[in-house]
Amino acid sequence: MNARSKLRVAVPKGAIFEEALRALGGAGLPVEVLRDDGRRLFYEAADAQFIVCRPSDVPVYVEYGAADVGIAGKDVLEEGEPNVVELTDLGTGGCRMILAAPAGRAEEVRESIGHAEVVRVATKYPHTARRYFEGMGRQAEIITLKGSIELAPLVGLAECIVDLTATGTTLRENDLVVLDEISSSTARLIANRGSYRLRIREISTLAKAVEAGVPLG
Amino acid sequence: MPPESTRLLDVQAKIRERFRLFGYGEVLTPALEYSEVVEEPKLRDVSFKLFDPDNQMLLLRPEMTTPVARLVAQRLRNFPPPYNLSYVLPVYRRASVGRGRSAELYQAGVEVVGSPSPQEDAATIALLVDVMNTLGLEAPGDFAVVLGQTAFYEAYLRHAAPEAAPDLLAALAAKELVRVDAVSAGLPDEVAGPVRRIPRLVGPAADGAILEEAARLAGGAPDAVAALENLREILRHLDAHGCLGAVILDLGLIGRHNYYTGAVFEAYSPKLGFTIANGGRYDNLLECFGQDLPATGFAIYLERLLSVLPEEDASPLLVLIGGGVAGTKTAVALRTSGVPTLYLPEDLTPEEATRYALSVEAGWICYPTNGGEAKLAPTRPGARFEAVRVEDIAEKVLGGMPQEARQ
Repeated sequence: MNARSKLRVAVPKGAIFEEALRALGGAGLPVEVLRDDGRRLFYEAADAQFIVCRPSDVPVYVEYGAADVGIAGKDVLEEGEPNVVELTDLGTGGCRMILAAPAGRAEEVRESIGHAEVVRVATKYPHTARRYFEGMGRQAEIITLKGSIELAPLVGLAECIVDLTATGTTLRENDLVVLDEISSSTARLIANRGSYRLRIREISTLAKAVEAGVPLG
Repeated sequence: MPPESTRLLDVQAKIRERFRLFGYGEVLTPALEYSEVVEEPKLRDVSFKLFDPDNQMLLLRPEMTTPVARLVAQRLRNFPPPYNLSYVLPVYRRASVGRGRSAELYQAGVEVVGSPSPQEDAATIALLVDVMNTLGLEAPGDFAVVLGQTAFYEAYLRHAAPEAAPDLLAALAAKELVRVDAVSAGLPDEVAGPVRRIPRLVGPAADGAILEEAARLAGGAPDAVAALENLREILRHLDAHGCLGAVILDLGLIGRHNYYTGAVFEAYSPKLGFTIANGGRYDNLLECFGQDLPATGFAIYLERLLSVLPEEDASPLLVLIGGGVAGTKTAVALRTSGVPTLYLPEDLTPEEATRYALSVEAGWICYPTNGGEAKLAPTRPGARFEAVRVEDIAEKVLGGMPQEARQ
């Protein structure tokens, strides 16, 4: 990695891409370049560079300093616990981390957990799930999957799931009910620890503008 | 292996020289420590653990400050403080993200035990800056030292919002400014403002605005005012050391949770996302060893430091090829005149010699000829050899040394 003169911003693709763009654009960053071609990964603008990556990778780029700042969901930050500075709550991208089980067996699962039986939990967020169960003084067998967590309880791979939900539609479609809400999450502006201090002027201006939701003067 | 090992050893040697010049005595401590010595849960977690024949748990030291503190408490009890100690040693951590991924990390650092003076905090920071400068890094372009004062925010919170203080400090130690804001929402407006604002005060130390705003925000809290005065005193001495320009103030920097008690600092380079060095005042650690002594110090992560150092130019090493007894005499003459010389008795062709010289990163190839002369060429394929007198070689070869060029 080399020292660079332009601020480098990591933008998550997927669900919070548009909201991230709106916040950054509102803060005066030239995000229009990002709308040109949905498949490019790296964009160069007059006074900023953008990288577009998976939401869960944003904190990695920022922690290592490959990007100076980025936008990441609190859920991703809680899962990875990256050593970055969490500057601003964008207030968007709202979703909840939930514990859910098939409607027909929800009570059974609740009782199992209540009796401190070891339940099997499928999740994309093993760290968060483990912390949740440990926090209750319960043991769980955590099964880590990369996608379509809802499938796991339907075919008996797991008894319940820990997953992120925004609207609850996917849960309903798969006949899953929420047993507990673990945390709620919104998008955050994060900064690399070094960049935050070495480029404080740019980054604090950006943070303030994002917070105020108004364009820079 | 060279050249990486050579670079690491060169850097260690230069750092040792600076540490000695500043009057520090270098210690060596065992790699294994009894596990009770390391109290911090996080450090214990990252440590490799072993058991001795009596089933006592041992740790491979995960850092050097605690072993030095133990040493001071056990061995220097009867000597007058302060104890100015340095070390250049590896520490061991179970690999994790951001730790350089290697389980063995080299650290170079100093500890000043037994003095509460802010002058000592300034002196250690100045030494860190001196080391960086010595290695060719200049502030602010190549690096900066970020300086905070843990006691300032802590004292303000204890005064203005004692009940929320633990939550706020935990949030700030985790660098979650959003959580600081969230907790402050439950506080009265005149407190919530400073609670949110103080951790966001960041800027060049040479610019007095940061301290003025801090004083205004926490004016009503006597202990916070004292902490701020301590910080001002450190800055006055940093100015006297001539390194105020290398320092960025950050009143939100408090370091590891519940460890630092005053000044705290971290060094960063624009070329690396991780801290290159960190340190600060830890007045409570020595108590664990039965001695209530104030202390301050820092540790440099040498692998990280190496990754941001400027590229070295061609090495001054010379490969001398063949020539029998005349060759041996030439080697003796070259070494006497200070030229690092690797002598190969075999008669290699220039192509073979070039290949060999490249493999050992030698900058020059030399063939002895008769009558105190030799043929010399820089290491690169097809380079032309020129006839030179042996006594003139030192000037040519050493004249090209990057260290010489820089001085």
